[in-house]
Amino acid sequence: MLSVNHLSKSFGSFQAVNDLSFEVNQGEVYGFLGQNGAGKSTTIRMILSLIRPTSGNIEIFGKSLYAEREAILQRIGAVVEKPDLYRYLSGYENLSLFAKLSANRISKAEIMDCLALVGLDKRAKDPVRVYSQGMKQRLGIAVALVHNPDFIILDEPTNGLDPQGIADIRNLILMLSRDRGKTILVSSHLLSEIEQVADSMLIINKGKKVVEGKVNELVNPEKLQLEIVSTDNPKALELLSETVWSKSTSRSTAHRISVEINAGEVAALNKYLVDNNIGITSLRSMNSLEAYFLSLTSGNEVS
Amino acid sequence: MKFLNIVNIELYKIFRKPRTYIAFGAVAAIVGLIQLGFYADGDSYMQFGLQSFTDSFDIQGNIMNGYLMAYIILQLLLVHVPLLVALVAGDMISGEAAQGTLRVLLTKPIRRSTLILAKFTASGIYTIALLLWMAVWALGISMLVFGVDDMLILKSDSATQIMASDVMWRYLAAFVFAAIALLTVSALSFFLSLFAENSIGPIMATMSIIIVFTILNTLDLPIFSSLKPFLFTSHMLGWKGFFDVTVNENNEQIIGSIENLRAVLYSAGILFLHIVGFLVASILIFRKKDIMS
Repeated sequence: MLSVNHLSKSFGSFQAVNDLSFEVNQGEVYGFLGQNGAGKSTTIRMILSLIRPTSGNIEIFGKSLYAEREAILQRIGAVVEKPDLYRYLSGYENLSLFAKLSANRISKAEIMDCLALVGLDKRAKDPVRVYSQGMKQRLGIAVALVHNPDFIILDEPTNGLDPQGIADIRNLILMLSRDRGKTILVSSHLLSEIEQVADSMLIINKGKKVVEGKVNELVNPEKLQLEIVSTDNPKALELLSETVWSKSTSRSTAHRISVEINAGEVAALNKYLVDNNIGITSLRSMNSLEAYFLSLTSGNEVS
Repeated sequence: MKFLNIVNIELYKIFRKPRTYIAFGAVAAIVGLIQLGFYADGDSYMQFGLQSFTDSFDIQGNIMNGYLMAYIILQLLLVHVPLLVALVAGDMISGEAAQGTLRVLLTKPIRRSTLILAKFTASGIYTIALLLWMAVWALGISMLVFGVDDMLILKSDSATQIMASDVMWRYLAAFVFAAIALLTVSALSFFLSLFAENSIGPIMATMSIIIVFTILNTLDLPIFSSLKPFLFTSHMLGWKGFFDVTVNENNEQIIGSIENLRAVLYSAGILFLHIVGFLVASILIFRKKDIMS
């Protein structure tokens, strides 16, 4: 569906995207993960031909993006960063206006169906300037969906939303994928969001690919990132440095110790510290993907 | 079909924005005020203007008529209307960039050059609509309020009389010329809007360029003389050429004559070249522009 090959983009001396390659297959939800400023939006803008790459090429639906831009964009729906719309027009007018830019003729009923899909049919006549952030986000998604695209690109779709809004968007992504067979590229800096919706994912850091693969393969439930708070952290650190866990032990904050450990070894580690007169105040397993993500984006690159 | 579709959309957006109507309101208000002023005190104004002629000529009839009124209004307003034109043209790209809708538009299957052409066409239609509005007020309302008669145009060292029957086509031609002049301003403002992410910048830049060029035009210094023919502002008041007539050996106006048609057409040509130049430059730049907004 999408093939990105050796894509790079520089702004002056700043390398925003560096030799990035990945593929999105038909029908999958592909998570595009990275911290703020990692190069996600720049990559998405290049995929949508909003900006030109310094080098590399992009193929979508088996066609070169720059040779057949309009034909490709006809089959893509996208929300890039914020869902900016015409504030002085109503939700319906906004959607109708963007629908007219499609090569397909889109009826009023289809526009209303699209608004109903994102739960805005009852607020269709209200001007966008009175919409909440969540409503604007949903209308932005409606703009991306109104021409029934095959490939949907959502750049940080849950940004600025409350928990209910985030859940709504997550459910919408899952529904579009499962019930309508859409291929979706969704970017986020929130690992939990990607973990819950994506089949595959790519993690980038400083414009470079860090890792790519199936989410269930990347998340190894056997590996845990433990956060330990003890009665004597300096001594606990010293004790751990004499064990097999020494290489994966670090001080994560002034009052916490972080240890990467196999799930079966947690009890042994706990006993070891207690036997050495260290009181354990708290022993917490961080989200495995989050730990994985943090370890990857803190400088260790995976080829 | 797609082009016309986008033009329609752009016009819809222009005329749904409250700021669009500021220009129409301003024109109506200014013209109305000028008409009110002349209606109340026009006679004394004309007496003052004609005092150097009344010793040598016997001037009769409705001098302060609708035709002269329109001429006075256009002379006053066509210097300031560019600001009103820039209000919309300068917002066409930069306004979309500022509110983030430019990137939404460009994720849709439309060619960038088509979008630029459609946006320019829409801003041109707005410009012409504003000019027609001005024509209705300056000429139409003035004719209704002040009546019609021969048109007497006073200059510093001469006066030109144009027969009433020979005036209307001159106004039609003058408005066509004014449309070209204002479209030049629109094209400049539109071009500048490519480089900004708020509409204030292009509007201010357009007005600054017009003010600087106008000052250069009025400064009678040799160093600037060679520049003047290349400044588009030198040609913007070329519409007045349609009101310069030739006379026969009896010093009577030759109906349908224009004293220097070649100069008028030359000015129109220069302005037209500016429009084409700004538009082509806009398309070339926009096609390769990275949309970062």
